[in-house]
This record gives sequence, structure tokens and C-alpha cells, in this order.
Amino acid sequence: MSRSPDVVVIGGGVIGSAVAHYTARRGLFVTIIDQPKRGRATSASAGGLWPLGESVGLGCGVIFYKTLLAKGGGPHGTNGGPAQLPRAFLDFAIASNAMFPRLAEELREANGIDIEYERTALLFLMYDEGDEAFARPLWQSCPCGRTLTDWLTPEEVAREEPYLTGELRGALRFRGDDQVNPYRLANALLTAARAHGATVLPHTEVVGLARSGRRITGVRIKDRTIPCGTVVNAAGAWAGEIGAMAGLEIPVRPVRGQIVATETLPKILSACISTTACYLAQKGHGEVIIGSTTEEAGFNVGVTAEAIASLSAGAVRAVPFLGEVTIKRVWAGLRPGSPDELPILGPVDGLDGYLNACGHFRTGILNAPLTGLVIAELAAGERPSQPIEPFLLSRFGRRLSSASSAAPTMIPLQ
Amino acid sequence: MWGGRELVTASDDGIRQPVAERLIIAAGAYERPVPFPGWTLPGVMTAGGAQSLVKTMGVRPGRRALVSGTGPLIFVVANQLHKAGVQVVAVLEAGALPRSPAALTKLWGNWGLIKDAWKLWGGLRRAGIPLFFNHTIFAAHGRDEVTAASFGPVDPRDWRPLKTESQTVAVDLVAVGFGLVPNTELTELAGCRHLYAHERGGWIPQRSALMETTVPGLFAVGDGAGVGGALVAVEEGRVAGITAAVQLGALTAAEAARRRAAPLRRLRSLARFRSVLDEFSRIRHGLCDLATPETLFCRCEEVERSQVEDAIREGARDLPAVRLHTRLGMGPCQGRQCAPSTAMLLSRATGRSTEEIGRINPRPPVKPVTLGALAQSPPAAARVVEMVGDTP
Repeated sequence: MSRSPDVVVIGGGVIGSAVAHYTARRGLFVTIIDQPKRGRATSASAGGLWPLGESVGLGCGVIFYKTLLAKGGGPHGTNGGPAQLPRAFLDFAIASNAMFPRLAEELREANGIDIEYERTALLFLMYDEGDEAFARPLWQSCPCGRTLTDWLTPEEVAREEPYLTGELRGALRFRGDDQVNPYRLANALLTAARAHGATVLPHTEVVGLARSGRRITGVRIKDRTIPCGTVVNAAGAWAGEIGAMAGLEIPVRPVRGQIVATETLPKILSACISTTACYLAQKGHGEVIIGSTTEEAGFNVGVTAEAIASLSAGAVRAVPFLGEVTIKRVWAGLRPGSPDELPILGPVDGLDGYLNACGHFRTGILNAPLTGLVIAELAAGERPSQPIEPFLLSRFGRRLSSASSAAPTMIPLQ
Repeated sequence: MWGGRELVTASDDGIRQPVAERLIIAAGAYERPVPFPGWTLPGVMTAGGAQSLVKTMGVRPGRRALVSGTGPLIFVVANQLHKAGVQVVAVLEAGALPRSPAALTKLWGNWGLIKDAWKLWGGLRRAGIPLFFNHTIFAAHGRDEVTAASFGPVDPRDWRPLKTESQTVAVDLVAVGFGLVPNTELTELAGCRHLYAHERGGWIPQRSALMETTVPGLFAVGDGAGVGGALVAVEEGRVAGITAAVQLGALTAAEAARRRAAPLRRLRSLARFRSVLDEFSRIRHGLCDLATPETLFCRCEEVERSQVEDAIREGARDLPAVRLHTRLGMGPCQGRQCAPSTAMLLSRATGRSTEEIGRINPRPPVKPVTLGALAQSPPAAARVVEMVGDTP
């Protein structure tokens, strides 16, 4: 290519692909650099789009909370449950989820790829008084308001989801929590970006960033430097390594989640299911994805017998029929976890030509469209259509490590 | 396999997690799938499948059969089918006619795959079964099951089918045997380093002369560590067993060396014959062209050849990328059926080596297990085990 790109996106997961898509669609020249790593979270996602559930700690949050309690860890949430995320997160997630119907249409028209977007609901199952005590305040004071939640009696649950166990005291339903096929979404976004003129460099490792004064001016790969106007750090669990190349300390760490996939089954679940032991989502292709643990194990992408047994037991308890079903495989992914569980987006004080699009933790699939849009707006020098102040790196206080004051230089790292 | 030497096994009695101080994996090989139009029709089976129906189950798998592929197994199977009363219409060997049948049968006899090669050869001739070299199956036809098959010559250099010279015969059985592919899921999950050895069937674990993989204390022997036949497998098993025993102090080093000498000598001698057979039966890229755009490559997820080619056009340059584009290899067989042929197609389309094309990383469980069985697995101490894989 003769012309150097306006934007280089580092990372070809769902976030990087979304950024590339929205940026290329604005007419900017985009290059996306991807080095597939074992444990990339996009490949280990269930594809749940649960803005309401996630913001009140359902999905993986409540499973992790129960695990902590079992191990003697103290509760850290407000109402004795897992931590709730701030209103800004819920607003962002709801706005991002609202983009899916149109995005699904666009991607289908552009590439013929069906991302299997499905409007559904999230059901939190209540087995005992403890579950009820946890769910009641969510129902009574959910930040999303009462209009989108329903308290279902056991009879109502049985009618809605006949394959669920009869041993329930009820379920809390969140309408407006949907699902998508995460691999297809990432693939369709990347394909669409390419159709808009983006260049993809697959299997390419970023080895450093070029910089001049307070500006990042390019990305170094093995044999050359790609000059560009803006670099976007969408490196998922590896975002800290890229940040370090810019002299930044980005507090993203890998948080492992193990998941189980069943064989292809006829439609047995119409909603996504959240319990204190696991979540379940049946995908368009018929397999049921059962997740997930929340573990600090570095970049280790192994699975453990203990975790798989616990998730399996949780799934069989929720849907007894699954006990007879063959599992296809188990694996693990590394969520890009941030200290406050919120994404890290946008520019960094004192550093030009650099944007964060990382730290999406459990909600990278859900928040990919809006992340892609606001990063594209920022890269084009426009005002982001959704406020990003709550998600700036500067919220963590410390920002630039000593390397930032270096004179114009290439920073050869790694 | 959770990695290293940690095993998880499942049986009717539930899940167990034996801990092995030394582990010897003898996982064997499976028959190489080669996609051609109609290869998923009932009545089309692998040569080994036809063999077990006849030999083990006493079932005659058809009335009129076409046998196609390469290597000694197809001749063995043709004989067995004939003896079971199946009319064998023809045997199609993709390899070239050897200088003399004697040369070939001597080779195969030494190879250890068949006991009495001469007798086998003569048996086919006496039965009047036509034998075509540099020929192969082109397509199986039928609506609900095989009713006919087309075959014809291949280019001797790359086995590209010369489809204009196709002829069709009425058959209700097609037995296909294009050699074997090592079962490496377990050694891969254990984190052993693998290398690509086309003449040994594909990806195989890297081993020392004493059969130890790059994971200390983990040995791999037999066809699962590189297709070599029964005689090789037995000697490799001896070497690995003796070495494991000496590592655990059950044998002295001197005694182990003494006991290993003969098996190692026999392995060296067997290796000499292997190189000749390799040239004869080495699988060749032209077989990719048997498949039409509509032919299924991935049977589990129903991915056609044209979809694989679309993925390549969209930039997929290795197996993991094709998998993400198409779902190829995401089904229950984890790519056993589709990876070898897709790798061959990718290699030819992109000009990259099979090493660069990579593999579809296996994930546990290697064989299907029910969720209920896993749910009952005994709570083990929290263990964090890395499943190292070398994604290119």
C-alpha cells in the first residue's frame, strides 16, 4: 500500500474488529494487526448480550461471588451479592446492545454473514431462600427500572422454559438481554472492515511503537514500522504489553474463564440462564455453552477438572436433561480484566496519537459496537456520541510511567 | 488429558484421574479421509471399516464393491471382501505400477502390514479382479445410498484426477483406504512438541531415540507417533517400556541398554524399507481436485469445499482461520475428518507449507463424555495445568 494508514488497530478480536469496521466506514484508512494468541477472549465467549444482568452482577459475577463465599472470602457488594456496576456502565451497555439489530442487518447485507443476533431474555434461577434474598433487591431496585424485569413463579418458569428443573422457587427475568454468535460477529466486522478498505495483517506481532515527543507516530512490526496518525490498543488481555510500549501503565490483567460446550441439540432453551453455579446459553447452531469461572491464573489457558465438574453439575441441576448430553469440548479464555470491571477507552493525557479500546472484562461482545463507534469518532477528531469520561485511563490516578518523558525516540520493547 | 502426565478417564463407572509417574501413549492412527463427490453416502466406507464388518462382525457390507486408495490395506481388504462373497469390481491403486509385483509385495511383507503378500497378490489375480495402478475413485453416485461409482486415471506426478477419462460402474459398496493419520490429540493436549512428517502420516510428536516426547516421562509409540505399521509399533513399545522402567529404578541402566539393543536394531532395519514405501504411497496434492465445490469437507458442520475456498479468498491462510470463518472442525470429531484434506487444499492454494498451515488445536475431551459424567467427577485439589499448544 502506498499511502500510510490513518489508524492502526492492534488486536483482531471483537473489539479491534469493531473499531476497524466503524473507522473504515467513516472513510479513514485503517490497518489492523493481529497475532492470534491462545486464550483470546473472543474465542471463549458465550455471546451473551446482557446489559441488565451484567450490570447487576449476574452471569459470571454471581458465580464468582458464590465461589468466593465458599472459599471464605467476604462479600463485597452492596446488598450481599456481587458488586453492581455504575450507571454509566449500564447506559453504555444498553446503548451498545441497542446497536445490534441494525448492525446485524448491515453485516448481513454487506457480507451475507448472519451474526445470529437473537432477542431473548436472561433468567436468574432461584433454588433457595438465599437466591431469593439476592434477587429481590435486584428486582425492586434494578437500575434499569421495573419495566424490564419480571418475577416469575415456578409455574410461569415451567411454562416458559419446560426443560428447566422443577426444583425452582422462581426466576427473575430481565427482558432486553439478548445474545449473538461471538465468532461470527468478530468475523463479520472484520470482513466488513476489509470491504470498506481496511488492510488486515494477520499473524503479525507488534514489537514496539514509534514515537516523537508526546505523539505516537507508528507501529513497529518485525521488519518495518507502519507510520500512522492514531494507534488503537485493542489487544484484549495483552493490552498491558502494548500500553507499556507507549510508556503507559494499563491495569489490564488476564482473568481466566473456563467454559463447556455441548453437542448440537434441538432448541431446549429460549432464554439465557444465570444461576449461582453457571450460566447457560443455547446458540443458533444448537450447542449449549456453559460458563464460566473467574480466575487469576496469569496467561495460563488450561482447564481444571474441579471447575469443569462444578460448571457441569450446575448445568445438570438447572436442566436435568443435559446430564445425558455429550459435551463436545471444554476450554478457557482470558478476559481482559480491569480493576473496576469497566472498560478503558479513549485518549490518554499527555500522549497524542493513541487511543485505548481495552479492559472490556466480561462484556467485550456486548460493548463492541459502541466501543467501535466512539473510538472511530475520536480517531476522526469528532465528539464521541456517548460520553467516555467514566472510562478514561485517567480514572486510575497514575498514568504515565517514567518512559513517557523520553525524548523523541523509538521504544524497542520485547 | 489435562496436560503434562495428568489424565482424566471416563468409563461407565465414572470419571477417574489417575496420576502416572511415567506415561506411554499408544493412541494408534485413523484412516485418512479424502473427500470426493458422494463420499458421505451410505455404502461408502473406509477400507478399515469394511474390514471390520467382514472380519469382526461377520457382515457382508455389500454385493458389488469398488476398492480404492493406496497401500497394502486396500489389497488386503479386496481379498477379504472377495472371500466373504462380495464381487470386487476393481481395485484402484493411486500409486504407480511398481517395476514388478514381487518388488512391491516384498516391500509390503517387510513392512509388516501383511503376512503373505505374494499369496494376497495371487489371490486377486486368480479371482480375476482387475487391478488399476495410477487410478482412483472420482465419485460415488446414488440418492439415498451408493448405486454406482466413477473412477479413472490420475496424473502419476501429483495424483490429479483426469476426469475426462472417467468410467462408471454399478456398485453398492465403495471401500476407500488412503493410508493412516496418527492420533495425536493426547500428545498435543499433554503439551508435547509436534512436527510435521508427511511420510509418517502428518503431525507427530517429536521424540528421542528412546521414544520420550518433549514432556519428560511421557512416551509415544506406534502409529500414533508416526505411521509405521505393526512391527515398528511393537519394537517402539519395547523401547519405551524398558526406558520407563529404568527411569523408575526398576531396571539398572546396563540391563536396560542390553534389553533395548535388539529392538533398536530391528527399528533401524525397518526404517530402511520404509523410505521405499513412502515414495510409493505418499499422499499427493492432486487428490484435492476430486472434490467439487459442493463436496463436503467438514461432515460434522457441513462445510463445503467452496466455503473453504471463500474463506481462503477472504484471507484465511491457516486452519484456525478457516475454522473461524466456516465452523470447519468445530464439530464432535474436532477436525479429524476435515483437517488433513483442508490442510492439503490450503497448502496448495496459498503455497505455504503444511507446518505454516497449522493444526486445529484439540480440546478435551478427546472422546465424547456426557455432561452428567463430568458433573460427578471427584473434586480434585485445585490444579492449574497448562495445555500448551503451538498455535502458529
